[in-house]
Amino acid sequence: MAFVVPAIFIAVLVFAAVKKVKIYDEFSAGIKEAAKFTLSLIPCLAAIFMMCELFEASGLADRLAGALSPAFSFFGIPKELAKLVLIKPFSGSGSLAYLNNIIEEYGADSYIARCASVCYGSSETVFYISAVYFAGLKQKRLAAPIAIVLVSTFLTTVLACLICKIM
Amino acid sequence: MNAVFTVIFLFSLAVLAFCDPQNVLPALLGGAEKSLKMAVTLFCIYAVWMGLSRVAEQSGLSRAAARGLKPLTKRLFKTESGAANENLAMNLSCNLLGIGGAATPYAVRAILELEKENNDFAQKLLFIINATSVQIVPTTVIALRAAAGSAAAADIFWPSLICTAFSTLFAAGIYILGCKKWRL
Repeated sequence: MAFVVPAIFIAVLVFAAVKKVKIYDEFSAGIKEAAKFTLSLIPCLAAIFMMCELFEASGLADRLAGALSPAFSFFGIPKELAKLVLIKPFSGSGSLAYLNNIIEEYGADSYIARCASVCYGSSETVFYISAVYFAGLKQKRLAAPIAIVLVSTFLTTVLACLICKIM
Repeated sequence: MNAVFTVIFLFSLAVLAFCDPQNVLPALLGGAEKSLKMAVTLFCIYAVWMGLSRVAEQSGLSRAAARGLKPLTKRLFKTESGAANENLAMNLSCNLLGIGGAATPYAVRAILELEKENNDFAQKLLFIINATSVQIVPTTVIALRAAAGSAAAADIFWPSLICTAFSTLFAAGIYILGCKKWRL
């Protein structure tokens, strides 16, 4: 699938050149928007990362994962995945670090690592997305949408562990 | 978000105050530092994709894509706004192509456009679709597994596709049904 990225770039740039777009000017203008956008994200990012860091440092993240692991095994989720599943809604880079640990510790082709890969690939950082998407708006009632996404993410994790057993 | 933030922040602080008080400030500073590193990573991703998307916009390519997807976005999100439809179409295409990094700026712009129409339903539906991940090719995970010496790094393709399709359809379905029944 690696050819997708170069193919998209070539298609867009050739099309733009045919349409006589000033590609360098417009490309830089797009990057200017990216710079503004990234700057507008930093306050939310900093606050959320501080929260995650405290949560980790206090040991509460580990303890919560430990406390929940019996419940997880009831649903067929290996207990090694508990921390990954818990941290994923909060932090993409945090959960990527756990995924990497799991892959290195159990081997890339082990059942645990494959489960972890599928769980990681089929879920998103819900709280981070909600912060970014609704950053500039007045107060929104997001409890119901977030709850729906979390339930569906959990069910997907159960499904992922089942599917990895057969496929 | 405010409630979640306050509860987690306070609980963690309380525990740390007991067991490890000198670690509070380093943890906070470390978090801030990580957020800047994250911002740098994000800027690189956005620079590449927003640069390209600006070129696509100016050449009229995004408008063509939006026209193609308009019957779908219009029915799904119940919006009349042209700019919102264009951004929604681009967000969905980027997600489906597996370039999630490019999808976020479009989503944010779509949400701002939808705000002008006061279209709460569409904003939340877009959030749900994006938050349940609609990635077709999980490129990061495949790359990680290949780096760790996997014999078949891409063999998680089908399981991932089934799972991501399930989660998005399930969540969007529940939300749409919920809106009809209980006006969430």
